[in-house]
Amino acid sequence: MSGSYGTFSTKQEERRKRTVPDRVMIRRVYEYAQAHRRNLIIGISATITGALTGLASPYMHAIAIDQIITPKNLAGFIWWIPLFAAVILGNYLLQYIQTYQMRVVGENVVAKMRDDMMEKLQVISLRYFSEGEIGRIISRPTNDANTVRIFLRLGLTSILIDVSSILGSFAIMFFLDLRLALLAISILPVALVLVWYLGKYSRAAYRKTLITTSGLTARMQEDLAGIKVTQAYAQEQETEKKFLKSQDENVKATIRAILIGSSYTPFVIGLRLIGTMIILFFGVTAVLNGAITLGILVAFTEYQFSYFMPLVDLVSMYDQYQSAMSAIERMFDVIDTKVEVLDAPSERSIVL
Amino acid sequence: MRHSDYAKKITMSIAKPLLDYAKSLRPRKGFTQSFSAFKRLIKYHRRYYWFIVAIVILAAVRSILFSLEPLYTTFIIINVIGPPSNTSLLWGYLLVIVMAGVGYAISNFVLILVHGVMSQYIVRDIRAEYYCSLQGKSFSFYDSVGVGDLTSRATVDLQLVDSFLRTWLGTVLNAVFFAIIIIVIIYPISPIMTLISMATMPLIFYFTTRLWLETMPLFRNMQLILGRLSSYIQQNIVGMKTVRIFRREKDIVDGFKEVENVYVNTAISAGKIQSIYMPLGPAILTLGIALVYVYAGYSLGIPGSALAVAQVGDIILFARYMMRLTFPIRDLSQTLGTWVIAYAGLERVLEITDAPRNVEDLPDAKDIKIEKGKLELENVTFGYVKDRPVLNNVTFTVEPGEKIAILGATGSGKSSLIYLIPRFYGIQSGSIKIDGTDIRQFKLDSLRRQIGVVLQDVFLFSGTIKENIAFGKPDASIGEIVQAAKAARIHDYIESLPCGYDTPVGERGLTLSGGQKQRITIARALVTNPRILIMDDSLSFVDAKTEQEIQSAIEEATKTRTTLIIAQRFSTIKTAKKILVLENGSIAEFGTHDELIAKNGVYKKVYETQFIQKASPILEEAGGA
Repeated sequence: MSGSYGTFSTKQEERRKRTVPDRVMIRRVYEYAQAHRRNLIIGISATITGALTGLASPYMHAIAIDQIITPKNLAGFIWWIPLFAAVILGNYLLQYIQTYQMRVVGENVVAKMRDDMMEKLQVISLRYFSEGEIGRIISRPTNDANTVRIFLRLGLTSILIDVSSILGSFAIMFFLDLRLALLAISILPVALVLVWYLGKYSRAAYRKTLITTSGLTARMQEDLAGIKVTQAYAQEQETEKKFLKSQDENVKATIRAILIGSSYTPFVIGLRLIGTMIILFFGVTAVLNGAITLGILVAFTEYQFSYFMPLVDLVSMYDQYQSAMSAIERMFDVIDTKVEVLDAPSERSIVL
Repeated sequence: MRHSDYAKKITMSIAKPLLDYAKSLRPRKGFTQSFSAFKRLIKYHRRYYWFIVAIVILAAVRSILFSLEPLYTTFIIINVIGPPSNTSLLWGYLLVIVMAGVGYAISNFVLILVHGVMSQYIVRDIRAEYYCSLQGKSFSFYDSVGVGDLTSRATVDLQLVDSFLRTWLGTVLNAVFFAIIIIVIIYPISPIMTLISMATMPLIFYFTTRLWLETMPLFRNMQLILGRLSSYIQQNIVGMKTVRIFRREKDIVDGFKEVENVYVNTAISAGKIQSIYMPLGPAILTLGIALVYVYAGYSLGIPGSALAVAQVGDIILFARYMMRLTFPIRDLSQTLGTWVIAYAGLERVLEITDAPRNVEDLPDAKDIKIEKGKLELENVTFGYVKDRPVLNNVTFTVEPGEKIAILGATGSGKSSLIYLIPRFYGIQSGSIKIDGTDIRQFKLDSLRRQIGVVLQDVFLFSGTIKENIAFGKPDASIGEIVQAAKAARIHDYIESLPCGYDTPVGERGLTLSGGQKQRITIARALVTNPRILIMDDSLSFVDAKTEQEIQSAIEEATKTRTTLIIAQRFSTIKTAKKILVLENGSIAEFGTHDELIAKNGVYKKVYETQFIQKASPILEEAGGA
């Protein structure tokens, strides 16, 4: 049996690596979003423009400092304040539209996929529902659907916002001052390598917690399915002991993942600090030379902040993205299962 | 509407209760519930107060160090750039910024770690309490709640609680400390500007509270619907054969879609509220910066005013601090969002933890050894729901070593009757005595260890056959295990397997037939060598050979033990000392086969119609409950 479309993959096959390329699945999820295409387009545009207007605010401060406060040209506030208020208001409105529209799309897509899965489950061969497979089947319309829902609710918008903030910051920095911009992004390659490399360890640790968690879930499921037997033989304490032991393993794995996952934040902060130092050192000299204005220096320190943080965020999103993709693959696996017209009774489906 | 009237009518029968439930959930003011759940959650923190002390200290240090960078950048602007400019100071300021940054990075790292470890410990405690409480719940609890639902509460719902616990205290402290530090730093520069910049705080607080109050009930409802939907899916998948036999596929899906619809609508309403309030805090805060500029600009224009002498650097400092404050404020509103969801999860977990146990040890319960195995039931009345008794004033006595076959239609109370003996359910009135001692005088443990039970549902745990047979007596010798297996007529089959007694069975092991499983469960009941045996032998639809083997196993098992057996087969009934016929929860007839035949009552009728005419001895409820 192959893991390709048409057959529902078995337990062994599921452990294997994913086979369907991301773009295929993204296209298919997009097909589900077609019914809400308008919401999707409005949502994505609002997300991107929202991120960009968010970037306007440090630039507005630079203008206020350079053109109004420093030269004591107070009349400038007459246009600056309404403009600033408009930017803030526009940004707020865009965020409102983005959150709402993306929610509409996300919830409906997952619901539709879930409906299709339920429909398919009613018609596929009964042999898929053999003992030992039930838990796995159940997790597809429940746990997997949940993972995808959470990803569509938060992850997808975060990725869009992060990417547009990073690109927007770059654009603005290069627009403000080429030399300082090059200095500001000089740490980028180091940052990327470091964040990616450390991120790999953290992902591996995280995956381990997923395995121990599913082990814990399986144990709990079985313990509860057999609880009447356990009580009938007064073996509650034995069962409890075993469960608590496997829970401790899970706790240990999770703590390890937290340790590894958080250990790269000091490095990231350190790198950002180096970036700030470079900007301050060269920036101060540039201001004193009259090469740039004070406002631009202040704006730069802010933009450096607003490209670096989304970068870190983006890397931490990678895991969420991956688990959402595998969940989506498993959901399509059910949706794509071929229906056999004749339901041949399997030898182990009834008795003996 | 995506459903036809026909579909709707049908849906009524399957998904109607679920749909009604989903629709009955009204957005209500969840504040008090949420507050008491929060207090409960705080209690779980008590054991880890050293962690909390560490978190408070680390958060304070982190906030102070975080605030130094804008401050020293301002010093650079004021003192280095000037006028008058003084570049010799630059290195000193940069050094402070680096040191503060390094300190911040370290304290931040330690804080995340300490917070994370504490959250894991607390989740562990909550889950352990939940799990242990489940071990003590009576059968009536498990009759009403699905395994999938219970598992998802301990995993999915607790994960929600976990994601709140990971950061909540740090985030709250961060916002509070950072606001205080900013006020401390900027107040001496300009009290009026400080007041202006903080003027927006009450507004932010107000809108954050609104967000919380309005979304909480919706998220709670979503979580509750999701939980029910999961058990709906689970029931559908587990019972797929039944669904197919009765051709209810369409109804199942239609019903599901309708409830899912309610969920999606609730989620979108919650999203709407969130989208209104969530971006509001940072927006208001940023507008506050504009107010600071206006005031600064205004005062700069007035000669001799306090700010006329203030420097541009001070104004930049104000603006930068305000911008930095947007981060903790945003985090805070996100944490509130996590709490709203975590609270719904916590509520679902505690609901189970707090559910009554129903059957418990009396304070003076003792370990009592059952010597003979005499069983006396006196005026026993029992019902799953109060005032609707399933068993009514049942009185009978079983002498040591006697085998009693119980007959009765579905719902006559057979299973309930035998499950009362090991106190799987608690009786409402009357008494059950073993060797003259009321079973409530026994410790539950000691009572159940001495009664062998073969349940109707033949469940085997993942593990080897050996472990399954020795389940009730983990220290049983291999000799005892083999002896039990021989008595249960399963030894030869086990020996024929390549790994023999070490063959894995259950979820991840060999698939056994119903008949084989039943004999292993009989062996499991025998390994403890109980004086009393209760058996629910409802297994039907087996072939003649298996039937005979099971029969022989039961025969052997019940030879010397006091036995109550729910019988399906005439051969079982024939070998019983007495027969008890239940009708609507009361004893209709009780006596030996010959006595009851002579009585010419219910038993005789059943005997003639079911056992004599039919080749296969199956009672009217053959399929089992």
